[in-house]
Amino acid sequence: MATNILSIGQSALAAAQVGLSTTGHNIANAATPGFSRQVVVQGAAQPQSYGFGFMGQGTEVSTIKRVYSEFLGSQVRTAQTTQSGLDSYYAQIKQIDNMLADPASGLSPALQTFFSGIQELSSNPSSIPARQAALSSAESLASRFQSMAGRLDEMAQGVNSQITASVDVINSYAQQIAQLNDAIGRAQGATGQPANDLLDQRDQLVLDLNKEIKATVVKQGDGDYNVFIGNGQPLVVGVTASRLTTMASPTDPEKIRVAYQTTGGSVMVGESSLGGGKLGGVLEFRSRTLEPAQADLDNLAIGLATTFNAQHRLGQDLNGTPGGDFFVVPSAQAGASGFAVAITDPKLIAAAAPIRTAITTGNTGSATISAGAIDAGYLAAPLGAPLTLTYSAGTNELSGFPATEAVTVTSGGIATVFAAGTPVTYTAGASVSFGGISFTLSGTPGDGDSFAVGPNTGGVGDNRNALLLGALQTANTMNGGSSTYQGAYSQIVSQIGNKTRELEVTGSAAGKLLSEATLTLQNESGVNLDEEATNLLRYQQAYQAAGKVMQIASEMFDVLLSLGR
Amino acid sequence: MRISTQTLFETGAARIGELQSGLVKTQQQIGTGRRILTPADDPVAAARALEVTQSQSLNIQYGVNRQHAKSSLGAVEGTLSSVTALLQDVKTSVIAAGNGSFSDTERGFLATELRGRFEQLLGLANSRDAMGNYLFSGFQTATPAFAETVPGVVQYQGDQGQRLVQADATRQMAVSNPGQAVFQGGGVDVFETLNDLITLLNTPGTAGLAAGLATANSDTDLALDNVLTVRASVGSRLQELDALDNAGEDRNLQYSQILSELQDLDYAKALTQLSQQQLILEAAQQSFVKTSGLSLFNFI
Repeated sequence: MATNILSIGQSALAAAQVGLSTTGHNIANAATPGFSRQVVVQGAAQPQSYGFGFMGQGTEVSTIKRVYSEFLGSQVRTAQTTQSGLDSYYAQIKQIDNMLADPASGLSPALQTFFSGIQELSSNPSSIPARQAALSSAESLASRFQSMAGRLDEMAQGVNSQITASVDVINSYAQQIAQLNDAIGRAQGATGQPANDLLDQRDQLVLDLNKEIKATVVKQGDGDYNVFIGNGQPLVVGVTASRLTTMASPTDPEKIRVAYQTTGGSVMVGESSLGGGKLGGVLEFRSRTLEPAQADLDNLAIGLATTFNAQHRLGQDLNGTPGGDFFVVPSAQAGASGFAVAITDPKLIAAAAPIRTAITTGNTGSATISAGAIDAGYLAAPLGAPLTLTYSAGTNELSGFPATEAVTVTSGGIATVFAAGTPVTYTAGASVSFGGISFTLSGTPGDGDSFAVGPNTGGVGDNRNALLLGALQTANTMNGGSSTYQGAYSQIVSQIGNKTRELEVTGSAAGKLLSEATLTLQNESGVNLDEEATNLLRYQQAYQAAGKVMQIASEMFDVLLSLGR
Repeated sequence: MRISTQTLFETGAARIGELQSGLVKTQQQIGTGRRILTPADDPVAAARALEVTQSQSLNIQYGVNRQHAKSSLGAVEGTLSSVTALLQDVKTSVIAAGNGSFSDTERGFLATELRGRFEQLLGLANSRDAMGNYLFSGFQTATPAFAETVPGVVQYQGDQGQRLVQADATRQMAVSNPGQAVFQGGGVDVFETLNDLITLLNTPGTAGLAAGLATANSDTDLALDNVLTVRASVGSRLQELDALDNAGEDRNLQYSQILSELQDLDYAKALTQLSQQQLILEAAQQSFVKTSGLSLFNFI
C-alpha cells in the first residue's frame, strides 16, 4: 500500500511540475505575438479494482493543449487583411493628399499667375517686359505641371517596389507555412499530441501573410493548412508552396504586375483577384486613384495646351506674323510631364488679332463697322491686302467681297448665305462673315460709302487676342465643355480628398474591427499574468502537497521497517 | 471576463496613440491657422476654396488692369486738356486777327504764332505714353499717329483700332481713342483748319479775311466740341473705373470672408478642444500607469 501511496504522490508531483513548467512557459511567452496560452489537461489515473471497490492510482497528464479558437482566428485574419489593405491604400493616397494640401504648392497658384501674366500682357501688349513676364509665368506653370507629374511618377515607382517587396514577403511566408505543415505533420504523427507552439507559429504566419494579401485557409484532415490567395489561387498545398513573381506589364513596361511562376514561365494574375492586404491595397491604389489622377492631370495639361494654342494661333505676334504654338502639346504617352512652353522669344506671343477694320474717311452715312474677329477658317487663306466693301444705296447691296468666298449674313439668328462673287444685301446690325472673318455692320450707310477690312499691319498695340487668351481662364473648355482649367484641377483635388477621407473613415472602422477581433481572440487565448500567478501558487502548493504525500508514504514505510527491530 | 495582459498594454498604448495624434492635429491647426490641413479634412470646402481663390485672384487682376486703364486714360485726358487749351488760344488768335487796325505784318506775326501752335498740336497728337507707345495711332502704337507729309498737310498714319482692357469680369473698356476721330473727326480736320487760317493770315490784304476768319472760328468751335466730346467720354470711363474699383474691393472682401469661412480655424473652439484633449490624454496616461502597475506578482 505504501508503495502505492508513494507512486500516487509521485504522479501528483510530476503533474504539478508539468503545471509549473506550463505556467512558466505561458509567463515567458506572455508578449510573444501569436502565442496561445497553454493549459495542462489532467485526469485521474486508471483506478485499481479491489474487492472493496476501485482505488485511485493518482493522476496523469493526458495532454497539454493550447487555448485557441479556429473561428476567432479566422475572424482576426479577415479583419487583418481588410485593415492592412485599407491602411496601405491610405498611406499611398495620403501622399497625393499631402502634395495637394498646401494651397501655395498645387497647380492653382501657377495657373492663376499664368493668367495674370496674360492679363498684364493684354494691358501692355507692346511691352517686352510684360511679354517676358507672361512667358516666365508660362514657364513656371509648365514646371509645376512637370513636377506634379514627376511626383505621381515617383509614387508609381514606389508602388512597383512595394509590389516587389510584398511578393518577396508572400513567397517567404508561403515557404515557411509549407515547412511548418511538414514539421507539424511529423511531430503530431509521431506522438499523437498537438504541437502547440508550432501550431501557433503557423497561425501567426498565416496572419502575417494576411497582412500582405488576403489568404484563406482550408484545414485538411491531417492537420495541414492549404492556403489560397485572391479568388482561390492555391499558394500552399500541403508541403508545397507556389511562387509568385513580378513582371513588367505588356501594355506599360513601367508598370510591375504580379504573376505566378510555373515551370513553363510566368502567368500574369488578374489584379482584381489579388484583393486585401498591403499588396491588394497598393494595387487598388494604383488602379483606382493613382492612374486616374495621372490621367486627369495629363488631360488637363493636354487640354490646356491644345485650347490655348488654338486661340494663340488665331493671333498675330509683335513681328506681325501669325501666332504659332504657345505650348508644346504633350503626347498622350508623356502627359503632364511633357507640358512645356514652345516659344522663347517674348515677341512671338500673339497678342494682336491679324485683321482690322475701318470706316473710310468721307463716308456720308452713319454706318459703323465692328473691330472684327477671325476663326480657324481664316488661317487657310489670310488676307494679303485690305478689302474695300462699297455700299450702293440703289440696290442696298455691298460689293467688294473676295470673288471666291461665300458670304454669310446673320441677323436675328437667321443666317443667309450669298454665293461667292454675288453682291450682298446690306442689313443693319447683321453679322457678316466670310473666309473665317466676321464683323458687324450697323447704322445707315450713304451711297458709295465704303468699309475697309485688312491685315493688321504694324498693329503692335493691339491686344484683342490677348484678351481672348485671358478669357480662356474662365471658359468651360475642359471635360467636354463643362469646366474651366481650374475647375478640372479642383475636381482632382476633391476626388483625392474625398477618397482619402473615405479611407480615413473605413480604415479606422476596419482598425476598430481588427482590434475587437484581436481582443476577443486574446481574451480567449492570450496570457493573463495574474491568472498565471494564481496557477503558479496553485501548482506550487500542489507540488508541496504531493511532496507531503510522499513524505508520509516514506514515514509509513519507516513504521513498517521499525516493527522488526 | 478574462483579459490577456497583452491586451491591457496594447489597448492602452493604442488609445494613448489616438489621443496623441488628435492632439497633434489640433496643434497643427492652431499652428497654421487652417481648419483644412489637407483636402481630405474637408474635400468639398478644399475644392471650393480653390475656385474662390481663382475668383479672388481674377478680381485682384481686374483691379490691376483698371490701374493700367486709368493711367492710359489719364494720359489721353492730359493730352486732350492741353489740346483744349491750345484750341482756345487759337480762338483768341482768330478774334485778334479780326482786328481791323492790324496790318499785313501784324497778321503775319499771328500766322507765325499759329504755325507754332500747329506744330505744338502735331506734337500733342503724336503723344506717347510712359511705355513709349503712341497714344493716338490705334493699334499701330509704334507708328506716329500723324505725319506732315507736305508742309501744312497732316495725314493720319494709324488705324481705327481701339485697345480694350478687361476692367471687370464682364466689362471690356476702351482705353485708347484713334487719333483720326479726335483730330480729324466731327466733320472738321483741325490741322487743315489751322493751316487754312495760317495761309489766310499770310495772304496780304484783307480781301476775304472776314469770311475766312468766320469759317476758322466756326471750324475751331467744331474741333473744340469734338475734343470735348472725347474728353467727356474719357472722363466718364475714368468715373466708371472708380465705381468698378469700389465694387471690386467689396467683392475682394466677400471672397476673403468666404475663404476664411471655408478654411480658417475657429481659434476659440480649437483652443478649447486642445485643452480638452490634453486633459483626456493626461488622464489616459495616468490611468494606464496605474492599471498596468497592478500585478499579483507584486505580492508573491
